[in-house]
Amino acid sequence: MSDLLVVEDLTVTFPTTRGLVDVVKGVSFTVGRDETVGIVGESGSGKSMTSLAVMGLLPKGARTSGSVRLDGVELLGRPDRELRRLRGARMSMIFQDPLSSLNPYYTVGLQIEEMYRAHRGGSRRAARTVAIDALRQVGLPEPERRVDFYPHQFSGGQRQRIMIAMALVCSPALLFADEPTTALDVTVQAQILKLLAGLREESGMGMVFITHDLAVISSIATRVLVMRQGEQVEYGSAEQVFAEPRHDYTRMLLESIPRIDDALDDGVRA
Amino acid sequence: MTLLRAKDLTKRFVSRGPLRARAEFTAVDRVSFDVRLGETLALVGESGSGKSTTARMIAKLLDPSEGTLEFDGEDVTHAKGAALARFRADVQVVFQDPFSSLNPRHTVERILMAPLAYQGIAPNGSRRAHAKELMERVGLNPDHSLRYPAQFSGGQAQRIGIARALAVNPKLVICDEAVSALDVSVQAQVLELLRRLQRESGFSYLFIAHDLAVVRQIAQRVAVMSKGRIVELGDTGQVFGDPRHEYTRTLLAAIPRIDPEWDRRRREKQ
Amino acid sequence: MARYVAGRLAGMVLILFLVCLFTFIIFFALQPDPAVMICGKTCTPERIDQIHSVLGLDEPFVGQFFGFLFGIFAGRDYGQGANLVHCAGPCLGYSFQTGQSVWDMVVERLPVSATVAIGAAVLWLLIGIVAGLLSAVKEGTWWDRTAMGLALGGSSIPNYVLALALQYVLVVQLQVLPFPQAVAFGDDPVVWFESYLMPWLVLATGYACLYARLTRANVIDTLAENFMRTARSKGLSPALTMRRHALRPALTPIATIFGMDFAALLGGALITETVFGLNGVGKMAADSIAKNDQPVIMAVTLLAAFFVVIGNLVVDLVYTRLDPRVRITAQ
Repeated sequence: MSDLLVVEDLTVTFPTTRGLVDVVKGVSFTVGRDETVGIVGESGSGKSMTSLAVMGLLPKGARTSGSVRLDGVELLGRPDRELRRLRGARMSMIFQDPLSSLNPYYTVGLQIEEMYRAHRGGSRRAARTVAIDALRQVGLPEPERRVDFYPHQFSGGQRQRIMIAMALVCSPALLFADEPTTALDVTVQAQILKLLAGLREESGMGMVFITHDLAVISSIATRVLVMRQGEQVEYGSAEQVFAEPRHDYTRMLLESIPRIDDALDDGVRA
Repeated sequence: MTLLRAKDLTKRFVSRGPLRARAEFTAVDRVSFDVRLGETLALVGESGSGKSTTARMIAKLLDPSEGTLEFDGEDVTHAKGAALARFRADVQVVFQDPFSSLNPRHTVERILMAPLAYQGIAPNGSRRAHAKELMERVGLNPDHSLRYPAQFSGGQAQRIGIARALAVNPKLVICDEAVSALDVSVQAQVLELLRRLQRESGFSYLFIAHDLAVVRQIAQRVAVMSKGRIVELGDTGQVFGDPRHEYTRTLLAAIPRIDPEWDRRRREKQ
Repeated sequence: MARYVAGRLAGMVLILFLVCLFTFIIFFALQPDPAVMICGKTCTPERIDQIHSVLGLDEPFVGQFFGFLFGIFAGRDYGQGANLVHCAGPCLGYSFQTGQSVWDMVVERLPVSATVAIGAAVLWLLIGIVAGLLSAVKEGTWWDRTAMGLALGGSSIPNYVLALALQYVLVVQLQVLPFPQAVAFGDDPVVWFESYLMPWLVLATGYACLYARLTRANVIDTLAENFMRTARSKGLSPALTMRRHALRPALTPIATIFGMDFAALLGGALITETVFGLNGVGKMAADSIAKNDQPVIMAVTLLAAFFVVIGNLVVDLVYTRLDPRVRITAQ
């Protein structure tokens, strides 16, 4: 079976006052069906721009080159009208800050329903049943009642569950998760990671997990792409990247992680 | 020797607006701890645990509803005038977001000399020389003393914040999520800087953080907060190695870790 | 919610009382004796005493003030014996100038001001919001620049300049419109419309320019929100994304500003009404100030304050319906 997503030599260019700037410089990776690929990098590494480029969500004025194929179909250069049919249906996305990513003026139910109906049509009533089911699937208690709540009435973790329910309501083949747990407390992060991994396994979709946190990546991804200032530093299996990093930058990142299981060894201890 | 003693610190917030009924919320509930001279005590907890409110009461940016605060053997709970000014010279705060806590229109020199001006303390030699000396201590290029905050990176800006705290030779530095916003490689450098400064000058840190791994790298003792209370307080080794409270165990278990087998293999090769 | 409204109404009453008090102090206590003005050149001390008695000016300040307040709700008597005049409530006194009941004057003129305000509001909302929306969507294009340049210019033209210019061009030069006449809608709808068209245009211009700029800024801010990115990532059509996700958050603040502007306008458009000779509350205010007609000044001040305070309350109540975040806290 062919790969789900093939990205080849993807370059993203922004026009700025100082001329054209490449924010992503020739990145290549593939995502198979039924696997999680991690993209890791510090701020300004271009990891989010890579996913937005695949989704066709880059800001106005951005230019792309290279190739992005989903199910063998080229996406770059396609009109937005056609990409729109894929966004949400074949590939969808969740974001870092679930509060600002949900519209505060509408109930979470409506925001899930409108997505379902945009791709599958049908009545509001039918979509509402789907929305309630989706909320139940992500472990939100009392979904029948809470489908009519507004985003601000939920906790941070619950909001991210709602975002996940929404992203998966049309059963996409590919999910982009852009720092989905960065804004959450560590205990909530653990729950959301478990939920994402479970849902991914159940549905057999491909997932691209973007984060700055190497430890999170190691717990969820089978393949890892390390980025730095728009460039692809290292790409390989998670085991290879973490156990035998080839690039100095990767080694430096791994060295920098504060270690939870090790005592201090430089005699600062009182 | 005890530098700071907080006893039964309590903070209640009363919210009453035209649109809601009067509600009382106890953010911090009878919190007691000591900070010894020259040590680092960490206050960890998730959002809403009350750690930041506690820090603000310790810094006397917020008055406690109940409880007492002793500093250097003196009751400063209700300190005013000269006593408060003395306290402010001895206790400095480093905030989370370096850019929003530095005046963008002031040069680094002016920023660093501001605490001296407030306290009416004469600089060490000329203002410029003193500013340059401080910059050198925190690893910044002293030739940049006339630059503005926006001309520095996030990590460098945080170093400016640290240098400003050091300008008045404090006895206690409160770090309120001081490294949370930094990239992991920069974070490691700033943590190292904080440790070195403490070795050189012998002041104490009250280190507020949500990231337990970071705390482990810097603190001798840790207080774990949950829902406004300290649930566990002990030596770092004990709290991390042999946590007594259920909440601490949950928190530690939730932290994502790099596969230990991979990590061991990587370290063996180096 | 009921508790909230009750609290707000109590606050309103307090504010109106204070406005009453201060207006009373300024226009009654600190002004020259109106009796001298009414009395004219051939005046005797007895005549002045008589006028004082009729107007209730022989009483101490506190008595006068509460007499005025009481009159608004229950009516009051002026003078004694043969000179007694009963003023039925709601009584705002009598004009020094014409002797007419001030309340009747207000009732007569309010519809004119309301017509001016409503017509102008419809115009400026339509023009301002549509222009602002287009500008926001086409941000940075020649359309945006032109529209915003015009809006900046338009909002800096004083109303009286615009009024005189329009009158000169449309009435005198081109003769496409008649000079505004006091015609009821029922009598001749065409003339009625033509008469009000210029005041509407004049008033609407400034507001439309302001609203266009506000709308543009709000829409641009909203388009940059994270939830707009989410809406696009969901594959919604651009029309639905714009209509549902951008417009409501962008226009909600405009609705609240509109409430305040409209309420203020109900208290009379002073300059516009005066220039076009419309017998509204605004012209009444201008005339009364020019002639120091104190009871009328009192009335127009109170009326304006009343509309502003009511407008405030309505805006706040409507806001709790428009923004769910406020609505939920209210319960």
